[in-house]
Amino acid sequence: MFARPGLPSFDYVRAREPGQVIELLQKHGEKAKLLMGGTDLFPGLRDGAFHPRVVVDVKQLPGIRDILFSLSDGLIVGAAVTMNALVAHPDVQSHFPLLAEAAGAVASYQIRNRATLGGNLCNASPCADTAPATLVLEAQFILYGPDGERSMPAGEFFLGPGRTALRPGEFMTAIRFPLPPAGVAASYQKLGRCKAGDLALVGVAALGNPDPSTPSGYQFRIGLGSVAPTPIRAWAAEEVLTCSIPPEAAFSLAAEKARSAANPITDVRGTADYQLAMVRSLTLRALRQVGAGLKEGN
Amino acid sequence: MAEFTSDPVGKSVPRIDIYEKVTGSATFADDMQFGPGLYYGRLVRSPHAHALIRHIDATRALQLPGVKAIVTGADVPKNIGLYLIDRPIFARERARYVGEPVAGVVAISEEISHQAAQLIQVEYEELPAVFDPVEATRPGAPLLHPDLGAYKVANFIFPEPGSNISEHFKLRRGNVDTAWAQCAAIVEGTFRLPQIQHVPIEPHVAVSLWEASGQVTLWTCSQSPFAQRDLIAQSLDIPHGNLRVVSPYVGGGFGGKAGVSMEVCAVSMARAVKGHPVKLRMTREEEFIGTTVRQSLVAHTKIGCDSAGNLLAMETQYYFGGGAYNDYGVNIARAAGYSCTGPYLIPNVKGDSYCVYTNQPIGSAMRGFGMPEIHWGIEQIMDQLAEEIGMDPADFRRRNCVKSGQSILTGMQMPPIDLVACIDKATEAIDWGKRELASAPHKRRGKGIAVMWKAPAMPPNPGSAAIVRFNEDATVNVSIGAQDLGQGAFTVVAQMAAQALGVPYEWVRVSVPVDTKYSPYEWQTVASRITWSTGNAVKAAAEDARRQILEIVAGHWGENPQDLEIKDGVVFSYRTEEELPLKGMVIYGLPNENFEGWKGGPIVGQGRFMPTYVTNLDFETGQGTRAVVHYTVGAQAIDLEVDTETGEVTVLRIASVYDVGKAINPDLILTQIEGGAVHGMSSAFEALHYDRQGRPLNPNLVDYRIAAATDIPLEIHGDFVETPLEDGPWGARGVGEHVMVPTAPAMANAIYDALGIRFSDLPLSAEKVFRALQEKQEG
Amino acid sequence: MTHHTITVTINGARERLDVPSNMTLLQMLRDKLALTGTKNGCEAGECGACTVLVNGEPVNSCMMLAVEADGCEILTVEGLAPEGRLSPLQQAFVEHNAVQCGFCTPGMLMSAHALLQRNPRPTEEQIKQALVGNLCRCTGYVRIIRAVQAAAEEGGA
Repeated sequence: MFARPGLPSFDYVRAREPGQVIELLQKHGEKAKLLMGGTDLFPGLRDGAFHPRVVVDVKQLPGIRDILFSLSDGLIVGAAVTMNALVAHPDVQSHFPLLAEAAGAVASYQIRNRATLGGNLCNASPCADTAPATLVLEAQFILYGPDGERSMPAGEFFLGPGRTALRPGEFMTAIRFPLPPAGVAASYQKLGRCKAGDLALVGVAALGNPDPSTPSGYQFRIGLGSVAPTPIRAWAAEEVLTCSIPPEAAFSLAAEKARSAANPITDVRGTADYQLAMVRSLTLRALRQVGAGLKEGN
Repeated sequence: MAEFTSDPVGKSVPRIDIYEKVTGSATFADDMQFGPGLYYGRLVRSPHAHALIRHIDATRALQLPGVKAIVTGADVPKNIGLYLIDRPIFARERARYVGEPVAGVVAISEEISHQAAQLIQVEYEELPAVFDPVEATRPGAPLLHPDLGAYKVANFIFPEPGSNISEHFKLRRGNVDTAWAQCAAIVEGTFRLPQIQHVPIEPHVAVSLWEASGQVTLWTCSQSPFAQRDLIAQSLDIPHGNLRVVSPYVGGGFGGKAGVSMEVCAVSMARAVKGHPVKLRMTREEEFIGTTVRQSLVAHTKIGCDSAGNLLAMETQYYFGGGAYNDYGVNIARAAGYSCTGPYLIPNVKGDSYCVYTNQPIGSAMRGFGMPEIHWGIEQIMDQLAEEIGMDPADFRRRNCVKSGQSILTGMQMPPIDLVACIDKATEAIDWGKRELASAPHKRRGKGIAVMWKAPAMPPNPGSAAIVRFNEDATVNVSIGAQDLGQGAFTVVAQMAAQALGVPYEWVRVSVPVDTKYSPYEWQTVASRITWSTGNAVKAAAEDARRQILEIVAGHWGENPQDLEIKDGVVFSYRTEEELPLKGMVIYGLPNENFEGWKGGPIVGQGRFMPTYVTNLDFETGQGTRAVVHYTVGAQAIDLEVDTETGEVTVLRIASVYDVGKAINPDLILTQIEGGAVHGMSSAFEALHYDRQGRPLNPNLVDYRIAAATDIPLEIHGDFVETPLEDGPWGARGVGEHVMVPTAPAMANAIYDALGIRFSDLPLSAEKVFRALQEKQEG
Repeated sequence: MTHHTITVTINGARERLDVPSNMTLLQMLRDKLALTGTKNGCEAGECGACTVLVNGEPVNSCMMLAVEADGCEILTVEGLAPEGRLSPLQQAFVEHNAVQCGFCTPGMLMSAHALLQRNPRPTEEQIKQALVGNLCRCTGYVRIIRAVQAAAEEGGA
């Protein structure tokens, strides 16, 4: 019932190339766990959630720690890039500040030196800080497995709490972010039980950009974290923001729609009612901030 | 150290232990090295809140290579306890809370010990459980201690056998029934507080060695090595002189390391593997529910005042949820009972304070010892009364707070203190009375105040002793049995020794670790009593040493000792202005003229202090000549903001002022005030949560959050006043607990000022505040 | 493999060690090297008492395997200043009474040291954010923050 002292015993393997990882995953199935930052693995090991026979450290795989950027291809983040590395990278700061904001909201500075983007996403906790941002930035997850490499939109990856679309033998190698449209502004709002350092009780990632094809002249994308079995897009809220109505009324209505999209559970961290109310409050805040950013951009 | 500080009492000298602590060389219990013979222990814990133990099968566990012994309740037949001997060391016929130790495994590694613990099979038969202290007093409630009547109990504690009530303290003064009629305003409320935990950053660790010779040693982070020795010696039938308790630096205690919790398990397990030390360490999760917690409380309180705002009557009932074993808890209920008016003069009082068994972790001493719990309700009702009769809350308190010499609720005369000065300084520091703007349109700002009092809650005869020894170079070793938990005890003790001797502060060392084999007796490091009690003993010991020195030198000079003085380590004569450095003579003495013999020898000063004036209280009325040794009083004023969109509370300023009698080290007092304010603030948001079966839901730092650096108030204004304590060393009295007592109710009062909403139940949370705001808008 | 031979540089000294796969860096420091300045407060990456610098960056050593430290440079509280001396930051902690029980102190120093290395002029808010992962129950953080500010003003880490 209580977490054990120290870690259970296991074999440690440092993978040098992807084939090795697939081989081990296929050989051991559930009894092999991948290690990047370990910030979700270690608690699981102490809690008895995992009993791996082998822990495979993938941090040395070629490119898995790299951040690559080009104006044509956008951003490619290796799955084992740490949150701090993401926050500090000049191209992330310039072109994907939402991602930097979300990554920077994770836990503490020490944890962010270990926690990785890939780890945060593959652990698939509903409250993962970076997940709503990947939805809203329309990221593609690069997966590698026995059948080779494939790419999957972020929106299709999360299946439930702790469940992803990874097939047996497959693992995430990188996350690709297309360059956001010109004039974009974004905001990540997180509510924890205290000012900083906590998990997200509610997380809202909002992004907006000028779009002449919509009645309002703008397009918004809203991602909600921690208020459903997976991170979700608030589609109805996004729809509202394409309509031609005054911004403050649109924001208010969109925040209501976002609340309706959420489906949180009551647990020791907070009641469903409160989380729903906070979806509304935080969405409104995020939208206002985005709105201010869009105005500035003009 | 290059510094040379004369007359250090009253000066903010550097902490005596700070060098070791900033270099990481300070030794804590888990840092001690024991060599390859060290074994490791793990405890098997009950998964049920209340269950009979039908059978324990350790066969598979014993077969695991590396397992050396398994200990169960059958091996340790006696209970342990301080005021009420109600606790088995390992559960015997039944388990009474989720987490209660049912067996202990000893093995050659922590890993094997853990594996073996998983292999022990225990057959339980679940019993109905009770978690609410009021429920637990109702007829038909599950009875946790059918043998309550057979337990040994201190003569000032009154359990009610056949029930779950382990203590009932009664306070009857004046006549409340007739007094209500004279009240212009009466406010009544029920206040609920959950269990919370100390969360010291250092979890409990105990290492014990039981030698074949019968010598037993316990190394552990302990606030009270002598009390631990006493309790463990009695419950394990070890002669006191054969049991040695050694305590290195303590990484935070807050009362949780004051008594015996897991340490006695370690000693019992060591007995099974004689000759090998056994280390038992709590994981953080075990620390939460397997050591001790602060009791929960349900308080019903009714207070009335006349139209001029004079308090006339109070009626109150406290139901403390003491957990499965109420040992320390009974004294908390008692202390709450004899302090139930708060720091106020109320002529008619009817108080009933109960300690009640519940199937929860063990409630025990935690910073404030009942005072934070009771002031939560008292200070809110005072605000409500002030509002009803149209008086400023600070003025209401100025009018009614207890003053020096007044006869308080137990009939005792209030020793000299100045709470009004504390109120004045606290209110001034946050611009009381000035309505200030919130930082944004969706925020509301408010200010609140709360006052407090607390007396050391002790048996009538708790003693301190001290030894002051010189080294050849005239540096000094002070030996005490008191502990420095971070509060600065070693530092102030060194200051007092230096002052009383007449040597520089830098010449004094405090002998660590505290070790019952070498250190003189100290009752316990609790109750904010060390500066006062140990201080007195150290002062006496230093004065004893000084007297010896002056006698020798006077004899050597042919003078009267009264004409001599020691200053900065040099003896000098007022009469002749002759000087003699202490160096050398404090060990070797002084030769007579022409070396015709010698005078003196090694200087060892001894001193002790024990209050002699505390009396028992009448069982029916709680009245007595002298209930307690003294009270420390203080006030906190808070300026905060509430975000109406989320319910989040941001504390802008806390002003916290205490009457300390004499600030031996002013800066250390301010650091206590700062730490206490943050601890008090944090405690308002903390709670241990359980499911319906009594299983803990948040025994970890992820879901039991304590204040981090980003949560602290923007400003903390600490200050103190000095109304000397009659028998305090240089007039000093303690303040370590008091500094966190009024924070939660001051916050509640400030939130009311901001929102017009009262919270009678803890914990506070952004969610609760938000929901209350919604309800207010809808209603 | 259940055991690994690793080479680590700890406080400037090169060490060659044999470590089990499941040994954490914290366990390695405390149990294999008797560097007990680094503390075990929760083993869950929450309290920060186990904070050390790995290649200059603060991590919770309880959340890292010893074998992962192969080839790395580790700095613990014992390495902040040569024996008998105090670093400017340690000195600031002394002068501002930023220590009470002392258990969180090593972790605090490591986080603060790393902060001043990467940001020599931090604001109060930046200091607080940098120390979010270092819990203290005694001081209320006030003096710790003040000490870090003072050390920054003096221009030292």
